[in-house]
Amino acid sequence: MLRISKRVIATMALTVPLAFGVAWSANAAEKFKLGMAVGGNTCCDWMKAQGDVARALAEKNGWDYIELSNNNDPAIALKNARIFAQEGVNAMIQFNGQPASNPAISQAMNAAKIPVVTYDIADPGMYFVGIDNLAAGVAGGEQLGKVIKEKWACNPDLVVSAEGAAAGIVNEWRTGGMRTGLKKICPDIPAEKWVSFESQGDAAVGLPAARDLLAAHPDAKKMAVVGLNDGGVLSLINAAEQLGRADEVIGWGQDGAFITGDNVNPHLAGSVFYFLEGYAVYAIRDVIAPIAAGNIPPLKAAADNPASRVEPCPVSAEQAKAVPAMAERVAKLLEAPAGTTAYSLFCPNK
Amino acid sequence: MTDATAPRNAPAPYIVPHRPWRDLLTGPVASIAFTVIVVVAVGLIWIGPRFLAFGNVGIMGAFLIVPLVVGACAGFALLSGVVDLSIGSMVGFSSALFALLLTLAWNPWAAAAVTLAACLGFGAINAIAIVGFGAEAIAATLGMLVALRGITWVLLGPQGAIFSFHPGLSDLVNQTLFGLPLFFLVAIGFTVIAAIVVARTRFGRHVQAVGGDDKAAARAGIPVKRIRVAALLLSAFGAGLGGIVFTAQLGSAARATGFGLEFQVYAALMIGGYSILRGGVGNPIGGALGLLAVAGVSNILDLKAVSPYYVNIIVGLLLLAAVLLDRMRGGDAYE
Amino acid sequence: MRLQGWGTGLTLLAVWLLLIAATGLYRPDFLSHQTVLAVSFTMSIVGVMAIGQGLVAISGGFLDLSQPAALIASSLVAVRLSEAGLPFAVVILGAVLTGMAWGFANAVIIVGAKLNPVIVTLATNFIGLAALYFAFQLAEVPLGSAIHQFGRAKLFGLPAIWWPMLALVLVVGFLIPRTRYGRRAIAVGGNRMAARARGISLKATRFAIFTAAGGFVGFAGVLFCATSGPFNPSSANALQLNVIAGVILAGISLSGGRGNFWLLLLSVGFLSTIPTALVFFGLSSDTQSIFQGLILISAVAFDGYRARRGTP
Repeated sequence: MLRISKRVIATMALTVPLAFGVAWSANAAEKFKLGMAVGGNTCCDWMKAQGDVARALAEKNGWDYIELSNNNDPAIALKNARIFAQEGVNAMIQFNGQPASNPAISQAMNAAKIPVVTYDIADPGMYFVGIDNLAAGVAGGEQLGKVIKEKWACNPDLVVSAEGAAAGIVNEWRTGGMRTGLKKICPDIPAEKWVSFESQGDAAVGLPAARDLLAAHPDAKKMAVVGLNDGGVLSLINAAEQLGRADEVIGWGQDGAFITGDNVNPHLAGSVFYFLEGYAVYAIRDVIAPIAAGNIPPLKAAADNPASRVEPCPVSAEQAKAVPAMAERVAKLLEAPAGTTAYSLFCPNK
Repeated sequence: MTDATAPRNAPAPYIVPHRPWRDLLTGPVASIAFTVIVVVAVGLIWIGPRFLAFGNVGIMGAFLIVPLVVGACAGFALLSGVVDLSIGSMVGFSSALFALLLTLAWNPWAAAAVTLAACLGFGAINAIAIVGFGAEAIAATLGMLVALRGITWVLLGPQGAIFSFHPGLSDLVNQTLFGLPLFFLVAIGFTVIAAIVVARTRFGRHVQAVGGDDKAAARAGIPVKRIRVAALLLSAFGAGLGGIVFTAQLGSAARATGFGLEFQVYAALMIGGYSILRGGVGNPIGGALGLLAVAGVSNILDLKAVSPYYVNIIVGLLLLAAVLLDRMRGGDAYE
Repeated sequence: MRLQGWGTGLTLLAVWLLLIAATGLYRPDFLSHQTVLAVSFTMSIVGVMAIGQGLVAISGGFLDLSQPAALIASSLVAVRLSEAGLPFAVVILGAVLTGMAWGFANAVIIVGAKLNPVIVTLATNFIGLAALYFAFQLAEVPLGSAIHQFGRAKLFGLPAIWWPMLALVLVVGFLIPRTRYGRRAIAVGGNRMAARARGISLKATRFAIFTAAGGFVGFAGVLFCATSGPFNPSSANALQLNVIAGVILAGISLSGGRGNFWLLLLSVGFLSTIPTALVFFGLSSDTQSIFQGLILISAVAFDGYRARRGTP
C-alpha cells in the first residue's frame, strides 16, 4: 500500500511539471520593469544601499522593480542576467564586482535586446555609469601628495600600496591611479620606496599581510599608504599600530567607507567619496528614464566616455566630518528632488 | 538479481538491487526524491506553472552543468571512502589554465586536453599521498585545495582574471535542444552513465565495496588501492571538465571561479544521500537530485526576489533535514 | 604513542628552525623584533581557534566547520558590548558566552538528532553566516576603548593578545591527558564503544566538548575584533583553513583519540611564519598558499606512512 502511494506520487511528480511546462506561456507585462543586480552584501553596506536607492527611485517612477544579488560570484551574475531576461525586464542595472562574466552577460542581454547599465566597471556592450576609477585614483593620490610634500618635503621612507587583485582592472586604476597622482606632486620618490601588499580590499583579511610587509621594511617610519579602498588602507594602518610604528603613517583611501562617523582612524588623512549608494540617480536620470519614455540614448560604454559620469569627491578627514554617514545620506537623497545627485548634496569639496 | 562477475564473497550489503524505479521510492535516494518533489510543489504553488517552464529550467540547468559534472565524479571518491576537498580549487585551476591557453591562441581541443592532463596530474598527487602513503584524505586534499588556489592565483596574474571570451565556445555551451541547454542534457546523461557505472558495472560495485569496508573488500580480492586511485583521478578529471565548461560559459577565469564550490557541491551531495565521512553510500542520481533541490530553492527565491541570503539558511536547514531523514530511514547514527 | 607525538614535535621544530635559518641567511634583518611581532599577532587568533578545533577532533567529532560564523557572532557581541561602554571583563564574558552558546547549539543538534558533526557544523555555518548578514554589514570596536587598546598593547615585548593564547594552549595541553574529563574526551575519540562500555556518557562528553570548543572560538573572537579594524560577516572565512592545517600539522588526529595540544604552538607558529618569510624572499603573497598546501600534503603523507609502518 505504502509502495503504491509512493509510486503515484512519483508519477505525478514526473508528469505534472511537464504538463505545466508545456502549457505555460509568457504574459506580457504592461508596466516598465527594471531589474537590479546588486554586487552582494558580502563586503560592504554600500552594496545593499545601491539596491535600496534603486528600489525607492523605481517605485517613485511607478515601475516594477526586481532585485537579485550577484553574491560576488561571476556565475551567479550570469544566471541573474538570464533570470531578468526571462522575467521580461525592460532594462537592467548591475554592479558586477566580478567583471569576468561581463562578456557573457553582455552577449546574453544583447541577444534578448535588453539594455544594461553597469556601474564602475566598463564593458563594451553596456551603458557605463560611474566613476572614472583612474581619475578618482589620481585625484586621491594628488591630495595625499600635497600632504606628503608639506609634511615630509616629498621624502617618505616608504609608499605602500594596498592592492586588491580580485577587483581586477579597478584595482589597477584606483591603486595605480593613486600612485600616478602622488608622483605628479612628488616626482622624485625613488623606485625602491614603492612597495605593495595584497590587502584583499578588507581591513580584517588584509591585516596579516600588512604586518608581514612592515616586518620586511623594519626601518621605514614615514609611510604613505594608498590603496584600492579605505579598508585596504586601514589594514596597513592597523598593522602599523600593532607593530608600534603608526606614529608617522599617513593613509589616503578610496570610496569613503571609513571616513565618516565617530570611528575614523586618525592616520586616515582623507579619502575619495564616490557616494556609491547614490549611483541609481545617475543611471535612472540619464539612461533608464529615457528608455522608459521611449528615447533610447546612444550606447556609451567607456569609462572615459560614459553614459553618465559620477564625479569623484576627494576629501580630507577634516572635511569629511561635515558629511553624514551612509544611512542618513540615503534618506536625504531620497527626499531630494528627482535627479539630484549625492555629489551635489554632500560633497564639501566641489 | 545476482551477477556472476561479482566476487563471490564480496560483502552483500554493498550490492545495489537493480530496480532503479523502485529504488527511487524505497532505496537510497527516496529521501532526496521526496525533497525534490516538495521543492517542485512549493515552486508550482508559490511561483506558478512558469517555475517549470523550459526557459526557467534552462536557466537553472545552465547554472547546474558544472556542479552536476563535478558532483558526479567527486561522488566516486566519496563512494570509495576518500573525500576529495580539492575539487573547488581544481575547478578554479582548470578554468584558469584553460583560459590562459586560449589567450595564447591554442586550439580549444588541445587546450582542453592539456588542462585535463594537468588536473589528472594533481589528482595523481592526491592519490599518491592518500593511497600510496596512507595520508588522511580530508587532510591531504585540504592541502591540495590550498596549494591549487595559490597556483591558480599565480596563473591569473595581478589582475586576478584572464579574459578569454571565445564566441565559438560560448555558442557551443549555449546551444539548446528542446529549449534546454544542450550541455545540461549532456550533464544529465553523464549523471545517468555514472549511476549505471555505480549500479551495474564491476568497477561500480568494487568502488562501493571498498568504501563500505576496505578490509573486507581486500579479503574479497578487490584491488582496494587501484580502485581508490581511479576514484581520485576521476574526481580530478570531473573538476577539470567543470573548470573548462566554466571558462567557456563565462568567457573568462577569475579568482572567484570555483571558490567554495566544494562546500556547495558536498552540501548538495549530502542532501542527496552521500556521506563525506563514510564510503559506500549514495549514488549519482541522488547527488544530482540534491543539486536540483538546492538549485530549485534558490530559483524560487530568485523569482520571488527574496533576499538571496535566505538561500544559505534554507540550504543549511535542508542539509540538516536530509541527513536527519536519512538517519530515520536507517542511516548511521552518530553518537 | 607518546614518543610518536614528540617525534612530530621535533620534526615541526626542526622544519620551523630551518625556515627561520634559511630566511635569516638570505635576509639577516628577518631576525628582528618586528618579525616576531608580525608572526605572533597572526599566531594568536589562529592558535586559540585551533584549541577549539583540536578538542572537537580529539574527541572524535572530526571538524567544527562553523568556527567562522561563531567567531564573527562573538566578535559582533564584543563590539556591541564595548559600544555600550561596558567594562572589558563583561565584553570578554559576553563574547565567550556567545561562543559557548553557539557550541551548545551545535551539540544540541549533534546529540539530539544523532547527526555527524561535520555535516551539522557545515549547515550551521551556512545558516549562521547568512543570518549574520541580516544582523550587520560592518562592525568595529570603538577607537580608544579598552578592547581596542588591548589589541595594540605589548607585554614583555610580545603582543598582549599572544599571552592568553600561550596560556590557554599550555593549560589545555596540560589538562587533557591528566584530568578525568580530558582522558574521557580522548577515550571517546579513540573508541566510543569501548568508552561507553567503561561507563563514560557519550552525550555528556559531546555537550562538554562542543560547548568548550565554542568558548575558545568566542575568546578568539575577542582577540579578532580587538585587532581587526572594521570587519564584516565573511571576514573570518579565511582563517578556517589555517586553523585546520594547524591542528593537522600538530598531529591531532582528525579521526580522534590522539594528539598533543602543546604541539599547536609549533604548528601554528610554523604556519604563521611561512607568509612572513616569503615576503622577505620577495615572493608575492599568492605563493604562500602553494607552500602551505604542499607542506600540508607532505606532512600528512609522512604521518600516514609512519602510522602505517608502526602498525603491524
